[in-house]
Amino acid sequence: MIDTKELLAKYEPGKNVQTITAEPQVRLARYSPCGKTLVAGGYTGQVRRWNVGGDSAEMPALTGHHAWIDGIAFCGDGELLFTADSWGQLCCWRGYAAEQPEVAWKNETAHDGWIRELAVSPSGQIVASCGSDGCVRLWNVADGSSVGLLKNGRDVLRLAWLPDGTLVSGDDRGIAKHWKADGTVLRQFDASSLYTLSRLQDCGGVHALAVDREGKSLAAAGLIPKNGGTLTGPPTIIMFDIATGEEKQRWKLGADNDAFVGDVHFHDEGFLSAVCYGTPGAGKLVYVAPGVEAPFFEKKLSNAHSLSWHPDGKRVAVVTTGPGSNGNGRPLDKEGNYKGNKSPIQVFTVPG
Amino acid sequence: MNYSHLCTPHEHALSRRQILGAAAGAAGALGLGSLLRPAIAEELKKKHKQVLFIWIDGGMSQLESWDPKPNTTFGGPFRAIQTSVTGVHVSELLPRSAKIMDKLAIIRSVHTKDNSHSAGVARIQRGDPKNRGVTYPFFGSAVAKLLGPGDSGLPPYVWIKPGSGGFIHGDAGFIGPKYGAVAFGDGKPPENLVAPPEVPPHDADERAALQAAANARYAKGRGKEMGEANSYVYEVARTLMRRQDLFDSTKFDPKDVERYGTHEFGRHMLQARKMLEAGVTFVKVNSYGWDTHGDNFNGHLSLMPKFDQAFASIVSDLDDRGMLENVLVIAMSEFGRTPRINGHIGRDHWPEAWSVAMAGCGLARGAVVGETNEQGTYVKTDEYDIGALFHTWFSCLGIDTKKVNYDNGGQPLPLAHEDMHVVKELLA
Repeated sequence: MIDTKELLAKYEPGKNVQTITAEPQVRLARYSPCGKTLVAGGYTGQVRRWNVGGDSAEMPALTGHHAWIDGIAFCGDGELLFTADSWGQLCCWRGYAAEQPEVAWKNETAHDGWIRELAVSPSGQIVASCGSDGCVRLWNVADGSSVGLLKNGRDVLRLAWLPDGTLVSGDDRGIAKHWKADGTVLRQFDASSLYTLSRLQDCGGVHALAVDREGKSLAAAGLIPKNGGTLTGPPTIIMFDIATGEEKQRWKLGADNDAFVGDVHFHDEGFLSAVCYGTPGAGKLVYVAPGVEAPFFEKKLSNAHSLSWHPDGKRVAVVTTGPGSNGNGRPLDKEGNYKGNKSPIQVFTVPG
Repeated sequence: MNYSHLCTPHEHALSRRQILGAAAGAAGALGLGSLLRPAIAEELKKKHKQVLFIWIDGGMSQLESWDPKPNTTFGGPFRAIQTSVTGVHVSELLPRSAKIMDKLAIIRSVHTKDNSHSAGVARIQRGDPKNRGVTYPFFGSAVAKLLGPGDSGLPPYVWIKPGSGGFIHGDAGFIGPKYGAVAFGDGKPPENLVAPPEVPPHDADERAALQAAANARYAKGRGKEMGEANSYVYEVARTLMRRQDLFDSTKFDPKDVERYGTHEFGRHMLQARKMLEAGVTFVKVNSYGWDTHGDNFNGHLSLMPKFDQAFASIVSDLDDRGMLENVLVIAMSEFGRTPRINGHIGRDHWPEAWSVAMAGCGLARGAVVGETNEQGTYVKTDEYDIGALFHTWFSCLGIDTKKVNYDNGGQPLPLAHEDMHVVKELLA
């Protein structure tokens, strides 16, 4: 049994919070492996960067993508950054911390449609992408050549690698699959309670996925959908034993009028950190531990969508959406312009 | 005089079949006689215009459908695709509709007043006229009164919807409850529609006579309109007993079922085509669950293809059958959705700038009217409120809103907002 008191002493966020404001809003932010750069993807086709190794100033955005950027991954060798957008383009940048990184390669039609997530293999030789075309695709990080295709059939929302070079995916019906890189399905995990059909609408699916350091446990997360339209339901994490496919534990992290677990992460010390969002303005940062029923830490936040632990283990960056983001009216700024939303990226410091 | 709208227990014992709640409409009782000059009425009757009204309840996003703004701040994740009309693009979530854009007419400059569902649904479907101290009819009821049931003997206004059915007299407003909607819950016929086999025909006639007597007694204690409406639903039930083929989906062509979609909306749209083919004047089909304040984009990714599949199929089928010339097709919601994306990754209610898709019956084919600004936040051409669309639709149906009025007990009332006018660019 994990000692949650000990964990809390090490990882409870302190009161000092640094806020990096992204405007217009972003959904996803990830620290680079070197810890010097925070990279975010948003809704405007731009890859945003902040120099968090220095003064946290925003660096020039990387352009060339379209629409939404939901895929961000790094490869330590050569400071490679991979980004992917909702129009199916995958891009590899060399020297992501430089003022103007060069495009090492890019594939404008990596997927037919929305690329949902990217992940680099433990060997650092393959970058995997998944998308609404129902496929997981594998690419050689060196030149972008295709090295594998895993046909899921349904929209693949999330993926993660295991230490042994196999990988797991999670789809829009709440089915997670353990794959060999040659496309063989080793096992399925039934997280279908994260999905429902409400009238015409397919609701939910695996919206967050993580594997522990040893590759023994899989966390599939989302919500237990109660209805379509304004999708709500308790944010939920389901943990599986990868070897047997059995569900080991589930955590219900909110009420019926909350919404998704937007991101989940297995910490090397065995606990999980996750963020949730709901409506309007609801959300939180949560820690749970295997074998422990209730979260051992919760902090309310406004619509928290992603979290990223800094390589130093002493910071966690959480992308939120500012309060008051909802509303049917016509919010205007002082000049009378229509207002969009912004995303405070809250960087919490922990004792470590 | 105050009339009771409620049944007494005694009356209820005799009128249990009232729950059939269906309509066939006595042709003589409905129609244009009291509204139009006879020559016009005769002409309309000859052409028998019809309406398919597709109600996307909750609010379809214009940005994920007819007015995409790809790669802009509020444009969302999806691409725009070329349609069969050069230079016109729609969301990639509408691939089938894109192929038949040359049959459609789109207006992208709809600007209405209400951003709440509770008021917006009725306000839009009643055409949001000036306040005259009366409740205006829904478009379906108005058309039922103005065009009548045609020669089919079927009710002039039917509503195919998820959930329960019944006779929805509230739609009719001041023009009288008998112009209400006959709603088929999940497309199913009213319960107890089939006469028990043990009832011989002459018994059925006797029962009908008894029913007529009961109706007369019911009408005694009420206003003329309530009495008429009560009789009307029984006539409807008798008519529908003869048209059970309209409800027997096992006899629908499996290829049609596949084309329209095996989902609820596909089934209902195919049944709508059957109703139109059978001669029903106004068919409304509802789809619920479009109020995507949360997870709007995955929601539309799931919802839109189902809409697209059934919508493109029915427009194509009506065209192939030569019916589109006389069937006005309208697909709309009570408003659009906000450009800005909220923290729940949803879009909220937006009446400021949204789109309506139409086809057939005097509308210009391939027309795209109006334009929103680069970000899709506001209309940058002339704005059109729902009143203008009502004028346009009545015009398509051959009803001149400058010449025809409702008769509210001697008080003439305009059919649509008198400060608005036909959107001429939409007309052929």
